[in-house]
Amino acid sequence: MPQMKVMYIKEHTLVAPDIRRMVLDDSIYARPGQFVQISVSPTLDPFLRRPLSVHDDGEGGLVLLYRASGRGTRLLAEKKPGDSVDILGPLGNGFPVTDAPAAILVAGGIGVAPLCYLARTLCEAGKQVIFLFGAQKADQLYIPKAITPFLTVLETATDDGSAGHHGPVTEVLEQFLQKGAVPVYGCGPEGMLRAMVRVAAQYYAQTYVSLEARMACGVGACLGCVVETFQNSGEAYQRVCVDGPVFSGEEVFR
Amino acid sequence: MNPDLTVNIGRLTMQNPVMPASGCFGYGEEYAPFFDLSRLGAIVVKGTTAEPCSGNHPVRLAETPAGLLNAIGLQNPGVKAAREKIRELAHCGVPVIVNVAGHSAEDYLRVIDFLEEEEEAAAYEVNISCPNVSAGGMAFGTEPCVVESLVGNLRRSTKKTLIVKLSPNVTDITEIARAAESAGADAVSLINTLLGMAIDTATRRPVLANITGGLSGPAIKPVALRMVWQVSSAVKIPVIGMGGITGARDALEFLLAGASAVAIGAANFTNPMVCPETVDGIADYLSENGFESVSRIVGLAKESLRPVTGGVCGCGKK
Repeated sequence: MPQMKVMYIKEHTLVAPDIRRMVLDDSIYARPGQFVQISVSPTLDPFLRRPLSVHDDGEGGLVLLYRASGRGTRLLAEKKPGDSVDILGPLGNGFPVTDAPAAILVAGGIGVAPLCYLARTLCEAGKQVIFLFGAQKADQLYIPKAITPFLTVLETATDDGSAGHHGPVTEVLEQFLQKGAVPVYGCGPEGMLRAMVRVAAQYYAQTYVSLEARMACGVGACLGCVVETFQNSGEAYQRVCVDGPVFSGEEVFR
Repeated sequence: MNPDLTVNIGRLTMQNPVMPASGCFGYGEEYAPFFDLSRLGAIVVKGTTAEPCSGNHPVRLAETPAGLLNAIGLQNPGVKAAREKIRELAHCGVPVIVNVAGHSAEDYLRVIDFLEEEEEAAAYEVNISCPNVSAGGMAFGTEPCVVESLVGNLRRSTKKTLIVKLSPNVTDITEIARAAESAGADAVSLINTLLGMAIDTATRRPVLANITGGLSGPAIKPVALRMVWQVSSAVKIPVIGMGGITGARDALEFLLAGASAVAIGAANFTNPMVCPETVDGIADYLSENGFESVSRIVGLAKESLRPVTGGVCGCGKK
């Protein structure tokens, strides 16, 4: 059940260019892949909350990892430890956990945020976690040190070749799928997700993608954040906020 | 003593003057986790059409200064599926007002015919003001003679309270309000969203797939308030005021301007508790200022004005 909670910021640090990590003093008991709607300003402008995925949650408090790219997130970036934020959540469906003994996680840029929480959860459930992380360049490859013990494999890729594989992260994905088809979870730019679903389909691997959308209510009421999905019954709009943000890959990309 | 918040709109009796606006509250279930829905005066559900409607392609939203553009395009499951949701929602014990939409006069009649025997559908709000559909919607709400004919037809088909939701995208909203009144509407609600647009400078294309959308949120409140003021002077039937209300202070402005009740739209998105908070805020204001009922403040801002004789208009001419 989502709730509205005022929380206080414990830590707020710049961990990579434009990327901030915010640790809050309370938990919302979110599952990996769920998100929160955070209020960025006490005034009426900007008007809407901002949807941010849960980077971690538990006894240490709710953790958010976000890129300050627009007006709202830049206002959020100005907040200091001790400041309060208004959180609505947990929202959305979250990532499904399958019976498979291993999983491949494909992160693109800030899409790394929800996959870290998933990696920890999968590892704690006794599964092998192959974590593939792509970005434009090396300085955007932020991954918290606390996460690395949960990863069986961590591979990186950059568009400019400044770190890891020189090229799209989906090329690295293909190398791993050749060794065996396991479920593939992705979060990142649409182009990366589309390529990920296409590559995984060649190896008959199940895919789950976490989508982003312009969002107003976050609870399914306004129908503003819909995505076109392809199902047995034909095409239909589904709400990213409550029917997602996680969809099976073939449902949204074909 | 607690002030009397009761409001009567046609045959509808509401325990207080606050309702969520159509399209901003789904069919109620989305907000049930946040507060007891029985605290509302009424619930206005999503625009409902005779057949299921898939709505517009995304992108459907664009945030603008202190506001929000939307172009949902009346996505709804159709009246048959909506009926089940309305029955479910009515369990909360407050009147459910069904927003009725259509692409032709016949569409509106089909929705009303389908729901007429349903006790759970307490009243209709006729949406002649949606700016985001290619046929119908706002097209019905911009010509007084079309409004009169459509509302007249609906009036003959229902005994239930008939509210007509007006578009602000007209030259003179009072003309449309009078047409609805003379055709037998029990009340008018206003305003629907203002037609607007936004352009993404990075892609150099309109943000919304529909190109234009309806503007809501605090940015439109002064325009809505002015129109409520004008319409409540032009008609004798009750006015339900809405447009940018984010709390009790805004709601009180609408009541003082002449609205008998208020609806809250986009503010539900930022504060799911805004409706019950507004009910409490109105009650506190009435108590603090010695009013025994909410009806005592409806249109009160007009009473304070002295009648103007002669006078000079803004352009300097007599």
